[in-house]
Amino acid sequence: MSHPAHYREAHPLIFVFTHWINLISMVALAFSGFYIHYPFFANFMGVARGMHFFFMYVILINLFVRIVAAFFVKSATRLGTREVETDIKNWLPQKLNRHQLGAWLKYYLFLKKDHPIGAKYGVLQKIAYIVTIPLTLAAAYTGFAIYAPFMDAAFFAAGTDWVGGQMNMRIIHYYIMWVFILFTAVHAYLANVEGVAPSRLIFAWKEEEGLRFDADGKVIGGSGH
Amino acid sequence: MARSVVDPLTRIEGHLRVEVEVNNGVVTDAWVSGGLYRGMEKILLDRRPSDAFYVVQRICGVCPISHGHASTASTEDALGITIPNNARIVRNLIEAAQYIHSHILWFYTLAALDYVDPVKALSADIADTYALAQAAGTGVSDFGAVAKRLQAFVDNGQLSIFTNGWFGHPAYAEDMPAELHLIGVAHYLEALEMQAVAAEIIAIMGGKFPHFMTSLPGGTTFMPTEQKLDDILFRFVKLNEWVTNTMIPDTLAIAPFYAGALGYGGGHGNFLSWGVFNDESFEANNRYMPAGVIKVAQGLTVADADASVLTEDVQRSWYDSATGLHPSAGEADANFSEYNVDDQYSWVKAPRYDGAPMEAGPLSRMLVAYLRGVQPVQDLVNGALEALGAAGRPEVLVSLLGRVAARNLETKVVSDWSLEWVNELIGAVAGGDSKFFEPHDVDEGMGAGLWEAPRGALGHFIDIQGGKIARYQVITPSTWDCSSRDDGGVRGPMEEALVGTPIIEVERPLEAARIARSFDP
Amino acid sequence: MAHEDHGAIYDLLAARGVSRRDFLKYCGSIAALLGLSESFVPQIAAAVNHGAKLKPAVWLNGGACTGCTESIAQVDTPDVATIVLDLLSIDFMETLSMAMGEDALAAAEAVFEEPGYILIYEGSVMQGFDGNALRIGGKTGLEELDHAAPNAAAIVAVGSCAVDGGFVMANPNPADATGVKPYLESKGITTPVVNLPTCPVNPEWLVAIVVDVLLLGSLESGAILDKLDDWGRPKYIFGQTIHDNCPRRGHFENGNFVNEFGTEEEALGYCLYKVGCKGPQTYTNCPIVRWNRRTSWCVESGAPCIGCGNLNWVDVGAPFLNRHRDLPLPSVGNTQPGVVAGVVAGAAALGLGLHAVGMKVTGRMDGGAPYEEMKAHDKKRMQKGGGK
Repeated sequence: MSHPAHYREAHPLIFVFTHWINLISMVALAFSGFYIHYPFFANFMGVARGMHFFFMYVILINLFVRIVAAFFVKSATRLGTREVETDIKNWLPQKLNRHQLGAWLKYYLFLKKDHPIGAKYGVLQKIAYIVTIPLTLAAAYTGFAIYAPFMDAAFFAAGTDWVGGQMNMRIIHYYIMWVFILFTAVHAYLANVEGVAPSRLIFAWKEEEGLRFDADGKVIGGSGH
Repeated sequence: MARSVVDPLTRIEGHLRVEVEVNNGVVTDAWVSGGLYRGMEKILLDRRPSDAFYVVQRICGVCPISHGHASTASTEDALGITIPNNARIVRNLIEAAQYIHSHILWFYTLAALDYVDPVKALSADIADTYALAQAAGTGVSDFGAVAKRLQAFVDNGQLSIFTNGWFGHPAYAEDMPAELHLIGVAHYLEALEMQAVAAEIIAIMGGKFPHFMTSLPGGTTFMPTEQKLDDILFRFVKLNEWVTNTMIPDTLAIAPFYAGALGYGGGHGNFLSWGVFNDESFEANNRYMPAGVIKVAQGLTVADADASVLTEDVQRSWYDSATGLHPSAGEADANFSEYNVDDQYSWVKAPRYDGAPMEAGPLSRMLVAYLRGVQPVQDLVNGALEALGAAGRPEVLVSLLGRVAARNLETKVVSDWSLEWVNELIGAVAGGDSKFFEPHDVDEGMGAGLWEAPRGALGHFIDIQGGKIARYQVITPSTWDCSSRDDGGVRGPMEEALVGTPIIEVERPLEAARIARSFDP
Repeated sequence: MAHEDHGAIYDLLAARGVSRRDFLKYCGSIAALLGLSESFVPQIAAAVNHGAKLKPAVWLNGGACTGCTESIAQVDTPDVATIVLDLLSIDFMETLSMAMGEDALAAAEAVFEEPGYILIYEGSVMQGFDGNALRIGGKTGLEELDHAAPNAAAIVAVGSCAVDGGFVMANPNPADATGVKPYLESKGITTPVVNLPTCPVNPEWLVAIVVDVLLLGSLESGAILDKLDDWGRPKYIFGQTIHDNCPRRGHFENGNFVNEFGTEEEALGYCLYKVGCKGPQTYTNCPIVRWNRRTSWCVESGAPCIGCGNLNWVDVGAPFLNRHRDLPLPSVGNTQPGVVAGVVAGAAALGLGLHAVGMKVTGRMDGGAPYEEMKAHDKKRMQKGGGK
C-alpha cells in the first residue's frame, strides 16, 4: 500500500489536453487505417481517408506543440511533489533514475519485492515515451511515402526505393501502427494496474493524496490509502 | 556422313538447338536441345494456389491461356471444385481465341517462310495472281500494292528480319508458281491483323494478351455485358470468315507442292491428347477435342489416356534429381554439366507415357478426335485427304505435311465451335444464369490439370497443403515433343521425326528446320 | 536542325502503302502518347523525315517466354506499326528472323560491328550455372549480351524480366536471374538502358520509345535520359499509379467494393481493392493506354491488377488476391503480415494477462508494493565502501 500522491503539478492542464488529443487521434488513425487497409464495411472509404489525413495533421501539430511546451511549461519531475521545474527535465536522464533499470526489470518480473525508487517517469517508462516521438515521425514518413500527393517527392521516393517498393513501405506503415497499439496497451496497463489515480489525473485532472517524496526519493509524508 | 546444326532455331517460342547426322542426303540421327532453365516449379513453392495461375502463364508467352487454365483446373481437381457452366463457356471461348490466334501466327508468321520464298514472289504477274487466288478459292488482297511494297523493301537493301534468309533454297518447291508465293506474302501481312483480332477477344474476356487475368480456381472474374458479348461475337465471326476463306484454301493450295512431305517426318507414331474444350459433362473423353492415346504398336486405334502412367526421365538432361518419377512426386534439381550428345545435352526432360515417348499437338488431337468419331473433325480430315489424293488413308497424316495440315484444319474446327459457344453463352446469360464463380474454402489436396495448349498435351500437377503449394510440376507440350532421349536411349518425338528427312544442303538444312518447326515448339 | 531530303521518307512510306495523310495522323498519335501538343506534329514529321536509312537494331531474347515479342504483334495500327518496325531494320530477332542458325547469328554480328545500333532485350539475364541456364548458338546468354551491349547506342529492356529479372528472379531465384541494367552495371558497361516493365511489355510504350529515341533524336541530344526516373523508366509512362487513373476510382472513394468474385458487386464494376488490386502501388498508365489495341485492360475485365510492372513483382505482389504481400519468414514460410501482427499482439495480451495475475497474487494491484528505502545499487555500493 504505497500509492504516491497524484498532484496536478505532475500533468499541467495543457498536457492533459495534448494527451487527450493524442489518444483521440491515435484511435481515429488506427480505426481509419485499418479500414483503409481492408474496408470491412461499405460506403466509408472517403470518410476513412478524410479522417486519416485530418488526424495525421492533428497528431503532428500536437506533437510539435507538446515538444515546444516542454521548454516553457513547468511540471513536477518527481513523484508525489508539488515542486516544479521546466518540463524538458522529464525527457532527460535524471539522478533518481540512475542505476535503476535493473531494479525496474526485476520488479516487473516479480524478482524484487519493493517498488523501485524513481523520478516521475521510471527508466523504462521514460524510454518508451520518448520512443513514441520518432515512432510518430516514422508513421508520418511512411504514411506520406504511400500518399499519392507526396509519394513522388524525392525525400519519400528515395525511402520507398530503399525499402524495396510501395508494398514494403505499406507494410512498414502497418507495423508501426501495431507498435502503437502494443505501446498503448502496455502503457494503459502499467499506468492503471496499481490503481486508477494516474488516469483520473491525466484525463480528468483530479488529484489524489498519497505518499510524498523528497529529491532523493525518500518518503517524507502522506500515506498510501 | 556429316553433322549439321541449327542453333538457334528461329521462328519458334524459346531457345532450341537441332543437331542432325546426315548420311547420303538423309538424316540418320538427331538431337534436340532446349536452351533455357528458369525453375518455375521452385518459384511456386509455398505460394497460394491462386497465385500459380498468374505465374505459370509466363512459362510460354504464346500459349499462356492454356497454362492458366491447366493451373486453375489442377487446383479445382485438388479441392474438388466444379466450376459453373458459364465459367466453362467463358474458358472455352478464351481458349478458342488463343487457338485461332496461335495457329494463324504459327502458319503465317513462323512457318510460312519455310515454304514461301518472298524473293520468288517478286517475279509474280499481278493479273495471274488474282486468277490463281480465285481458282484456289482463297482471299484476294491488293496484290499489286503488296508486290510494290515488297520490291521497295528489297531495293532498299536493308532486309530487317529477312536478313540472311535462305532465299532461293532448292528445298522450296521448284514448280510452285511465283503467284502463289505472292499470295503467301500478301496473306502473311493479313495474318498479322487476324492474329491481333483474336488476341482482342482474349483482351475483352481476360484483360490482356499475352498473360490474361480472369481465370481463377472456382471460375472466372469476367462477367459479360451485352456490349462485350457483341464485341466478342463480331470478332469470332470475322476470324471464322478469314480462316474459312483464306487460311484453309491457302493450306490446300500450297500442300500439293510439298506432297513429298507426306512421306517422312512422322516420328514414333505415338500420340497423346488430354482433351480440351469441356462440354457440360466435364469428362475428358467427352471434350470437344477428346482425350486419348494412340500407340504405334496398336496401329491407328485410340485408348483412354491415363495420367498415372507418366514418368519423367532426367539422366540425359541437366538435372541431378531422381529419374523416372511421376510428376506428382517429381523434382527438378538443375545442374549443368556440359553439352554432350552422348551424355547430357538439354534442359528438357524426357516425359514418357507408360514408358513410351508421345507426340503432342494438333496432329495428336485431330487423330484422337477422328478415331473417336468427332463429326466435324472427320468431315474436314476426309475432305483434306481427298484433296491430297489420299482419300480413306488417315495414316498418311503421320508425317510432316500431316502435322502442318492437322493444325490448320483444327483452326477451322475450333473457329466453327467458337461461334456455337458464343451463342451458348448469350443463351445462358439471356436465360438468367448469372453464376460465374464457385466460392470454396478447402485448402488441402492433390490434383492434376490435364488440358491441351495449341501446341499439345499440357499437365499441371499440384499438391496443396494448408492452403499453400507443397509441390508443383508441369509437363508442357514442348517437353513432350522436344524431349531429350530417355534413360533407355530412346529418342524424343521431334528427334525421331527428324530421322529419315531428306537434306539437300547439309550447311543449310531447311528440311530439318521444317520438321522441328512443324511441332510449333 | 535542318533536314535536307524531306522527300525521302515520304517516298519510302508511299512505297509501303502509307499516304502522307496517314503519316501525319500517325505523328499526331505519337505526339499524344508522348504528352506533346498537336503543335508538335510538324516537328515530329520533320524529325521522322530526315533520311531513308533504317536504324539497325537487334532484338535479343534472354530468359524469355516470348510474351513480349507476342505483345509487339498486338499494336494498334498494324500498317504504321509495321513501318515503325521497318524504320528499324531488326536484323536479328529469334522469333521472327527468316534466317536461322549460324546465318541468323551472322546477321546480328554484322550489326554489332558498327556502333550506334539499338539493342532491344526481352527476358531475364540468366546468370545461373555460369550463364548456362540460357544457351544460344553454343554459347551462354551472358556471352551474347556482353558482346552485344557495349557498342549499342541504347538498350531498351522490354518487359519486367529484362528490367530486373521479373518473375524468374522471385524467391528462391533458382536460375540466378537479373535484369539488363543491374547486370551491365555489375560489369561496368555504361550503355544507357531504357526500362519498360510490365509482363509482358505494352507495345504502345515500345512504339513511343522508338519514336522518341530514333526519330526525335532524343538519344543523341540526351533528352531521353532526362525523361527517365531512377529506375530508367520513362516518366511519361510510369509517372502515375494505376489507381490515380483508374475508371473505378470513384467506387473506391465511395467505398463500393467487390468482396468476392462472381457477385453482383462485380457485375456492377465496383472497385477491386479488397480482392487484392495492386493498382495503388503500381506505376503504369495502363488505364489510359490500355491493352491489345486499346481493347481492354485487366481491371476492365474484372480482374485485380497484380502489379506486374513493379520491381520484383511476384515477391512484392503475391498472394495476388490479398491486400498485403507475404513475408518469407525463416522456418515458418510465407506468412501474411497481419498474421504476424496478430500473433505478436496475442502474445502481448497473454503476457499482460499473466502479469496482471502476478500483480494480483503479490498484492500489488491496489497501490503497488511498498517503496524501497534506498536504491538497491546505492545500498550495495555503500556496503562495499564501508558505509560511506
